[in-house]
Amino acid sequence: MSSSLLLQQVLNGLAIGSVYAIFALGYTLIFSILRIINFTHGAIFTLGAYATYALTGARFGFNGLLANAALPLHLPFVLALIGGALFAAVSGVIVERLAFRPLRTRGSDPLLTLVSSLGVAVALVNVIQYLFGAEAYSYPADPFGQLPSAMNFGTSTEPVLVRTVQVIIFGVSMVVLALLTVLMNATRTGKALRAVAEDTVTASLLGINTDRLILLTFVISGFLGGVSGTLIGLSVGIAGPYFGIAFGLKGLAVIVLGGLGDIPGAVVGGLLIGLAESFVPAQYIAYREAVPFALLFVVLLLRPQGLLGRAVVQKV
Amino acid sequence: MPAFLAAYDFLLVSMVLAAVLALSLYLPLMAGQLSLASPGFYALGGYIAAIISTKVFPPAAGLYPVPLVLLEMAVAAVASGVLGVIVGVPALRLRGIFLALATIAFVEILRVISLNLDVTGGAIGIFGVPQPFASQIHYMSLAIPLLVLCMLFAARLERSRTGRALVALREDELAADAMGVNPTRYKVLAFTVGAMIAGVVGALSAHFINTWNSRQGTFDTGVSLMAFVLIGGSRTFVGPVVGGLVLTALPEALRGIADVGGLPGWLAQFLRDGRLIIFGVMIALGTVFFPHGLITPALLERLGRGRRHRVEAA
Amino acid sequence: MSAGAGVDVLGVEGLTCSFGGVIAVSRVSFSVPRGELFGLIGPNGAGKTTLFNLVTGLTAPTAGRLRYRGRDITGLPPHRIAALGIARTFQNVRLFGELSALQNVMIARHVRTKSGVVGGVIGLPSARAEERDTRRRALALLELVGLADRPDERARNFAYGDQRRLEIARALALEPELLLLDEPAAGMNSGEKRGLSELIRGIRARLDLTILLIEHHVPLVMDLCDRIAVLNFGELIALGVPAAVQKHPAVIEAYLGDEA
Repeated sequence: MSSSLLLQQVLNGLAIGSVYAIFALGYTLIFSILRIINFTHGAIFTLGAYATYALTGARFGFNGLLANAALPLHLPFVLALIGGALFAAVSGVIVERLAFRPLRTRGSDPLLTLVSSLGVAVALVNVIQYLFGAEAYSYPADPFGQLPSAMNFGTSTEPVLVRTVQVIIFGVSMVVLALLTVLMNATRTGKALRAVAEDTVTASLLGINTDRLILLTFVISGFLGGVSGTLIGLSVGIAGPYFGIAFGLKGLAVIVLGGLGDIPGAVVGGLLIGLAESFVPAQYIAYREAVPFALLFVVLLLRPQGLLGRAVVQKV
Repeated sequence: MPAFLAAYDFLLVSMVLAAVLALSLYLPLMAGQLSLASPGFYALGGYIAAIISTKVFPPAAGLYPVPLVLLEMAVAAVASGVLGVIVGVPALRLRGIFLALATIAFVEILRVISLNLDVTGGAIGIFGVPQPFASQIHYMSLAIPLLVLCMLFAARLERSRTGRALVALREDELAADAMGVNPTRYKVLAFTVGAMIAGVVGALSAHFINTWNSRQGTFDTGVSLMAFVLIGGSRTFVGPVVGGLVLTALPEALRGIADVGGLPGWLAQFLRDGRLIIFGVMIALGTVFFPHGLITPALLERLGRGRRHRVEAA
Repeated sequence: MSAGAGVDVLGVEGLTCSFGGVIAVSRVSFSVPRGELFGLIGPNGAGKTTLFNLVTGLTAPTAGRLRYRGRDITGLPPHRIAALGIARTFQNVRLFGELSALQNVMIARHVRTKSGVVGGVIGLPSARAEERDTRRRALALLELVGLADRPDERARNFAYGDQRRLEIARALALEPELLLLDEPAAGMNSGEKRGLSELIRGIRARLDLTILLIEHHVPLVMDLCDRIAVLNFGELIALGVPAAVQKHPAVIEAYLGDEA
């Protein structure tokens, strides 16, 4: 493999991996606080992508209840992306109220919460399908104005070409990641969140209001899900209402690889899976979809606490 | 009656097969293990039947022999059982959510493999799986006995030494271990029997659906099966059977209600097209209001109190 | 009995267990001869329950050996140890709550029965005979602990004291040679405690058992046990007959220290 091809694959892997990372952070934040997997995260991802599409003023297709509808506004793409993510964040709050809080107040089995979140995910995805049909959508061709379709990170003799879209999604992901890092490390709220994530009991003894923090976690998680939905939609298009479910399953591989509930682990896991996918040899490219799941399976069997995690001692 | 059978033949057979498939997910759950692996074994069984019937035995004129279908079902059971042990032994060391995740990964891996192999027909799958019956309703002659057998199996199992060991694991794995129940052994056993049942249903389904591809037996199937079990009831084998039958019929029933007329247009349309929304909401509400499902052992006890007392006195 | 009369039922040799640097049990050694009623006392957190978990295989020791009737059982999984004949109850009652009292006891017949899936499902004569026998024995054990009138009641519906007795019945269903009782009198009133003492004496005599007993209620232990071991901060600080242990200075200090 030539060094330019290698570099190209690294850059592509980092771009997609950075989206995996911010998406998986949304999962892992909720897990770290509630010890449950939020299966609606994939549906929230889809909601974000559709909301951004709507906010750009684009028209919906023919099959849903809202066939041919369009919002009477044409937001610039960056604003639509933020708007879509905010919409996803609000959806996250609604999901918390509908799928999680009723079970939490009853002290239900965590597996039941998982099932409940699957139910809400199925409902959400099908609401999207009911309203907008099953067809694929794609964002306007030039969301950021006139840019070349690819950028050269090499020399003119040895070009290292990366699609501009990949560069953009990497950039946006990094901005989101930086904002989240500041939030978690430099604000009171973020520190409280980390305290709760590390130890719910101690946190409640310290007088941290966990209910408010849980809500906040769902806001952040929804926002991250919404941004990643838009970014993936930008890269490969919105493949219909179900595309978040498939992505959501990959996200599970990321958080298990990084260690469930482990915040830095989610970032490392995301980047690793992005890189692993981009290094699948061309002749096996069809098996690429299986790479995250093969990794998930192997990691679960060999190191269920994740790559960075510590083993937990079971109390009798 | 014949007109009804003819109009709903596909639905009726689907209901019965769904009930059997729900039992395949119920078995590991008896031992407290939430596994979403059933769709994977279902897919495997389907491919085995589709490959045997289209490639091993060259298509001939007339109906495909029923004994060969039975043979395929047996092969599917054995293959699923072997794969069940291979996957189950390492995977069932995992608990709770980790097992669920590992089985989701297993199903996805199988799906991608089937999408890429030549023998499974790649993305297109296998078309024209031959028909052993002249009419779809005749599939009942295999589906009903299969359901009855599996129900009998589950019913007897629940009252046997093995069934008690499984339920003990569900109630408190550590205490069961300390009472002499080998957790790994019984979890793998339940998982493997569930896998075999799913494989057999897959084999029959490949003929019934007439075609088999990578869209059969995916994560979505797993979610539906889980809904069958958890809404129907996860503490007795009657639950998954009722769940499978009723929830498979639900979309048709909703459509039927919509067709009755007299409903506002938007509602009728919602009942027709929004059935999966209703399905999802039911799953979520079910976990809150019926955490053990609609059919519980206590309910069955109330229904059959008189009968059971007579049996136990004997 | 294959094991000779001279061999102790339980031998604990230099047993040590630590969790992430915290030492729960530290180089504890003692042996329990056949038929003895052996008491284990000590302040909270002294390592008594951890010792039980080590003996039953629920926790792996960091160092040391465990022998049961002369056989090394260190590191065996719990179900293997149970099958060899060591049964226990739990400090915070771990019954199968959703199941009936009878089912709870029948489950513990597991290692003494052998019907497989096929036999049980088809209903082979051998399996059916075994099932009848299991039920009969389980009912007899419920009778023994005084719960024979409510075999079909769910375990979680029993009063706390009755749950403890049910747990004893369940442990006995294993036909153990060594029975470990973890605070069986906790939560009982004085009348129930007297009944429990009689029950423990009775089953030892009738079933030829060796019993290890953890108990906080010191008068009960002094009254019941042949010998008593005292643990403090994971270490064995005294071992002997009740009268001697009671006067042991280290024991007095440990208990006074606990009170202060």
